Amino acid sequence: MSAATTEPDVVKNDLAKPILEMRQVAKLFGGVHALEGIDFHVGRGEIVAVVGDNGAGKSTLMKIISGLQPADGGEVFFDGEPAHLRRPADSTALGIETVYQDLALCDNLDTVQNLFLGREEHRPLLRGARLRRADMEHRAHETLTRLGVKIRSLRTPVGRLSGGQRQSIAVCRSTLSDPRLVLLDEPTAALGVEQSRGVLDLIRRLRDENGCAVVLISHALRDVLDVADRIVVLRLGNKVAEFDNTGRAVDTDQLVAAITGIAA
Amino acid sequence: MTTTAPPSAATRIEAGKLSRRRAVLDALSGRYRVVPVLLMLAVIWAYFGAQNSAFLGNRNLTNLFVQIVVTATIALGIVFVLVVAEIDLSVAANSGATATFTAVLVVNNQWPAWLGLAAGLVAGAAIGLLQGAVVTQFGVPSFIVTLGSQLILMGALLTLLPGGTGQVSLFGTGLATLSSTYLPAGLGWGLMVAGVAVFLALRLLATREAARKGLRASLLRDVVGPGVAIGLAGVVAVAVLNSYLGVPLPVVILFALLAVFSYLTTQTRFGLHLYAVGANPDAARRAGIGVAKTKMIAFTIAGSLAALGGILAASRLLGVSASSGSGTVLLESIAAAVIGGTSLFGGRGRVWDALIGALIIGSISNGLDLLGAQTVVKYVAEGLILVLAATVDAMLTRGSVLARGIK
Repeated sequence: MSAATTEPDVVKNDLAKPILEMRQVAKLFGGVHALEGIDFHVGRGEIVAVVGDNGAGKSTLMKIISGLQPADGGEVFFDGEPAHLRRPADSTALGIETVYQDLALCDNLDTVQNLFLGREEHRPLLRGARLRRADMEHRAHETLTRLGVKIRSLRTPVGRLSGGQRQSIAVCRSTLSDPRLVLLDEPTAALGVEQSRGVLDLIRRLRDENGCAVVLISHALRDVLDVADRIVVLRLGNKVAEFDNTGRAVDTDQLVAAITGIAA
Repeated sequence: MTTTAPPSAATRIEAGKLSRRRAVLDALSGRYRVVPVLLMLAVIWAYFGAQNSAFLGNRNLTNLFVQIVVTATIALGIVFVLVVAEIDLSVAANSGATATFTAVLVVNNQWPAWLGLAAGLVAGAAIGLLQGAVVTQFGVPSFIVTLGSQLILMGALLTLLPGGTGQVSLFGTGLATLSSTYLPAGLGWGLMVAGVAVFLALRLLATREAARKGLRASLLRDVVGPGVAIGLAGVVAVAVLNSYLGVPLPVVILFALLAVFSYLTTQTRFGLHLYAVGANPDAARRAGIGVAKTKMIAFTIAGSLAALGGILAASRLLGVSASSGSGTVLLESIAAAVIGGTSLFGGRGRVWDALIGALIIGSISNGLDLLGAQTVVKYVAEGLILVLAATVDAMLTRGSVLARGIK
């Protein structure tokens, strides 16, 4: 945690360095290489998309970063320091938050309760241990407004909200701990065109407003081309291509060719 | 997942109708869940009141309140296990066994009544905790674990009873005075006013905090409205009870429990976690909530309240026997929670459901007794109401906020 508080002059020096760097990271599942020693890095305030066919190793890479499945080989550096990601708590302590595809929301609880789930603010036990509902609702409102998420009533159970709103709540929840890197698993898979656009806007704001780096795993190539600064292509556990998309100049054909390995 | 395509002009009218229906369903499954239940109670009271004028008399209403205390106390524990999406079928047997345990300690071993009571509550809590541990640590369905322990506890009850008479009389003990005590009129009023005042103070505090943060806060909707409703109900209830013998001590105990557990479930972190665990245990776990711990506490609460219910029943019946905690005790306690509005699917329910559900069940039973109806009629009526309530629960759950979890 202490590494998270940086002095201004340090920040300047560190800017060039990536927030996350992985060297020759490998993962074996019973003799099969899910990841065969790949190099992967994420710059500060960069949105990196990881694409690939099923079984390419996207999820494995994500699970390694989130601490769900430790890597079998290779080195990981976070903020320039060697990092050991063995448990989800290790990643969380570094400032890495993960939004899983199933969102992990409680449909019977409202937006505020979901945003603060597991880290509710409350008064001391001797003063009744009452939840600081007003404080939390106020902060929820601020966070959602800053990230451009519109939800009519924060007191409505989230089960009644749209898929896009639910996805947005899950993403906003990950920002409450002021993370430095947010992992998003298929954030637009279950959404229609309009709602996808809303979530993509939210991802950009995550970068611009919060200065977060984002790793995005997605099958939706159009969304990836729209939002990602850099695109990493995995195939059968290897990194086969990497596109600089800062100019949004990459096209779908190039990506598909890289993903399938068949020249366009 | 909800559909996401923007509605075409042709479907918009249909969608409007649907969303209005949906809004009604949502309201009924949320904030206003209690409205149809209270209506049902009103209809039942009106019916029996019309059939027999004694039904709404102060004497019968006092009896009714005393009668429902046991069911409501056990049902209160059931609400906790139902909210965390489990079930406890052993509560009735638990109440019988722990009441017998207490009675034996007090009568045969000459323990002071309060110590026997405390020992009974601890025993009940331990039984609940043990069951919760088996359920959460070994992943055995609570349905089976508690069904099994129901039999074990029935055996324990028979073992605890002294040979020969097969019963323990509580006549003349401190435990008997528990249910024969009525509060002086002034004390009844005082406690009621204090309870309403605490409720108002908490609501006022929350509204003021919200207003200070610039959040939506309505003095009328959040403080005055509910305050007047609860105040009126309290005044009528105490006036009726005081016009007979006064507020019965068991009723005071029940309302104190309801107040404390209402605070616990709605105002504290633990309460919120109960609902999170019941709706989506995976999400709760990932948010750092101890799912197993939360469920075990719910079982422990259910166990100790079952014990208290059993002891109150023994106190009222002036003794324990092989039939303690048998008969309709289990069915009525679970039915009370469900009829009151607690969902069988987890994640939804309020502690007050136990009271209102017990009132409905108790009123039917009491009313039919008053009309001289046969036991058969009573069973059929109670069974029908339970199935009706469970059907309403399933419909509200399917058509509403928890739909995603069920399909």
